[in-house]
Amino acid sequence: MSICVNNLSCKIGRKEILKNISLEINVGEIIAILGPNGSGKSTLINTISGNLKKNSGEIIINKKKIEQINLKKQALIRATMSQSHKILYDFKSKEIIELGWIQFNSSNFSEALKKVSVECNILDLLEKNFSILSGGEQQRIHFARTLIQLYNDFRDEERYYFFDEPSSNLDLSHEMTLFKILKQKANESYGVLIALHDLNLAYNFADKIAILKKGKLVHYGTPEEVLNNKNLSEVYELPIRVNKDERMIKYY
Amino acid sequence: MNKSYFFNLKSKQKIIILVLIFTFLFSLITGFWNGSYDLEIIKFFKNELDNIQQFVLKKIRFPRVILAAFVGSSLALSGACLQGLFRNPLADPGLIGVSSGAALGAAFSIVLGSEIIVGGYLKTFLLPLSAILGSVVVIVLLSIITNGFKNSNITYIILAGIAINSLAGVGIGFLTYISDDAELRGLSFWSMGSFEGISWNLIIPSIIMILITTLWTLTFARKLDIIQLGENDAHRLGVNIRKLKINIIISSSIIVGVSTSLVGMIGFVGLVVPHLVRLLGGSNHNYLLIASILFGSSLMIIADLISRTIIQPAQLPVGLITSAIGAPFFLWLIYNMKRK
Amino acid sequence: MNNRKYYLYLFLLLIFNWSTSQKNNSCVKTINPSKVVVAGGSITEILYFLNLEEKIVGIDVTSNFPEETKEIQSIGYVRNLSSEGILSLEPTLVLGEDDMGPPTTINQINESGIDLRIISESQNIDGIIYKIMCIGSIMGKEYETENIINNQILNQANELKNIQKKNNLKDLNIMLVLSMQPSSIIVAGNNTSGNSFIKMLGAKNIFDSFEGWKSVSKESIIKKNPDYILIPEKNLHKNSEVEKLSEDLMFKNTNAGKKGNFIFEDGMAMLGFGPRTILSALKIAKIINE
Repeated sequence: MSICVNNLSCKIGRKEILKNISLEINVGEIIAILGPNGSGKSTLINTISGNLKKNSGEIIINKKKIEQINLKKQALIRATMSQSHKILYDFKSKEIIELGWIQFNSSNFSEALKKVSVECNILDLLEKNFSILSGGEQQRIHFARTLIQLYNDFRDEERYYFFDEPSSNLDLSHEMTLFKILKQKANESYGVLIALHDLNLAYNFADKIAILKKGKLVHYGTPEEVLNNKNLSEVYELPIRVNKDERMIKYY
Repeated sequence: MNKSYFFNLKSKQKIIILVLIFTFLFSLITGFWNGSYDLEIIKFFKNELDNIQQFVLKKIRFPRVILAAFVGSSLALSGACLQGLFRNPLADPGLIGVSSGAALGAAFSIVLGSEIIVGGYLKTFLLPLSAILGSVVVIVLLSIITNGFKNSNITYIILAGIAINSLAGVGIGFLTYISDDAELRGLSFWSMGSFEGISWNLIIPSIIMILITTLWTLTFARKLDIIQLGENDAHRLGVNIRKLKINIIISSSIIVGVSTSLVGMIGFVGLVVPHLVRLLGGSNHNYLLIASILFGSSLMIIADLISRTIIQPAQLPVGLITSAIGAPFFLWLIYNMKRK
Repeated sequence: MNNRKYYLYLFLLLIFNWSTSQKNNSCVKTINPSKVVVAGGSITEILYFLNLEEKIVGIDVTSNFPEETKEIQSIGYVRNLSSEGILSLEPTLVLGEDDMGPPTTINQINESGIDLRIISESQNIDGIIYKIMCIGSIMGKEYETENIINNQILNQANELKNIQKKNNLKDLNIMLVLSMQPSSIIVAGNNTSGNSFIKMLGAKNIFDSFEGWKSVSKESIIKKNPDYILIPEKNLHKNSEVEKLSEDLMFKNTNAGKKGNFIFEDGMAMLGFGPRTILSALKIAKIINE
């Protein structure tokens, strides 16, 4: 099963943000969404996550139309991480992670918490007050919360993770930890979609690439098919060179 | 409500709630025991009270103290829900105009209700119902001004509250002006609140409404936690935001509206209590809502006790006492926010 | 009118009350008048007038005449009484006027079984005498009360009634000012104690076109042109204050201002409709007549 996005269009006010997008999110794969600012990456994630209403097209999750899946069921099947709001009241970091534990059954939570804390290397942050953490630490906590959302007992269907620039505040080593986790999730038969700026990370971690420009899907395929000098230079309006031997992309 | 509702409280919070339960019971007994009339409560148990003493205890103190508990819990609970929903520490049914909306609704029915020919039985419910209607109108107005609560900017909401309080003040002032003297008596102590004259038949329907609504409100606890992440994230975690907003609107309108219709406007309880409770034990709502209910009722019982004993045999409006406690705390809160 | 007619008149009133109204409004003798709580300044005055003051155990904040009232425990503001507070004074009788409140508290006091009497008030000469008689009767001192009325009030009441009959003053324009802050001048309209006082003088209240105590503009005062201005504030009774008032441009443009016709009198004496009201009305009527 998979998530099929067919001819998706989305307007915000009068402006058409997404125009006729079609792609697939398959389990076991990491699909990276690339594109300059304003190309519609966040809007795409918000629409597939159900936050925004589409104007036309279909979103089919595990063979069901998104309109036919109720809110709670959606939360059991997919977890999304995007730009976070400031948290007003005092919560401990582990309490923030617990907000993602949608089944809210106490006995399994501590196991799941331990698992995700070891995975994300955040054991030392758990007891700290969330508001005093740095931007990067807060992002890692939100990441853990997103992961734990699908660590519940629900196994009847394929499940998916969506990430909108999850490592924007992270240093190199934490960023690497995060991407290794993504790879692992793909191996565990989750479907992973991630919007990125970093072309090199996309090249080296993604199984599929989708490039958006001004709301249109301009390139879609494997990294080998899609990532070449011509495509990238056109999209980013910058001279970009792809070195296939070293799997490196240079743009400066 | 989940079975695990209570098991999910951290042990520190369980202790605090236990202490608050004892505080509540202690306040209740202190309220029953004390007053301007000299009464030895031990005589109550020995059945040695004379007629007047029994009257004072059973017909004056019991209903008064019990209503104080319900009103205190309602205001505190509403404050906790509004602070959670708006994600705004200054939300309080008084500050944002819900109480004065209820007072305006009640004022309408006091002054103009005699013009409308209503059946006698309906008339007892006319007052609390018009107060609830007043609350609903205010919260709907707030929702429109803040664009469905999406714009939870502090400035917006406080300004909206000031505007609504002013409008309600104009309305109540005008009604006071055109009312004749008997009706004026009913209106004159609204702005400061009072538990004077409360009797059983007056409060039974209201207590039932508050009790049912309070139990229903406790089921919002988890959703109020999740909404702290922001509306997008809460939606993705399965929370129907619109339904939650509407439910909290209805809940606050009922408990604050009913309370205000019986005792007038009492400020600061909804603001102060949730913050104190958060300082003690944390912000997760399955602890916060229950602790606010317990703390709020204890506080109100004690405030009423002070109001009726401090210048006995005369009495002060209870709103004066809650303001005296609440205003300095409010200043401290602003100072604290500035520091952060 | 002679004394006998008075008594018949009052007797009929008492019978009327006893047979038709609820117990709260009756003037029938109370069972035990030994400890009385009073909510209403004029009632307190009347109890002192009838030499019954040692029975008072509690008074409201408007009861401040005579000076001795300072020693008595206060039950607070007449519209916001406390039922438990009143009961704590262990009264046998509670006396008040119809502005006692809140209504729920009045109900509770009734329910407690304590004798609660609401003295109805007609704001005229007969009404004052009725009030005094009613209170005397409730306290079980009818004969003594009659004597006191005869000796101390009746002549003045008759004299005032004669002045009223002569009707000299019926075209005299009078206004009564309660409060004179620059921003709001509050005067007596129709259905106020101030209006009733002016009527007691036999004169005309220029502001009887609206109800209640309301604030009026300076222009409307000049337009209505009062001949006399009554001010129920004893403390302004100094010449310098009169000068200040008559300097005020607004008043200068009125008859009262031009002639300096400002009359100051104790507020409770004027508007309480107790024993002093007849005396102060008489005094003022004489001043005006000169």
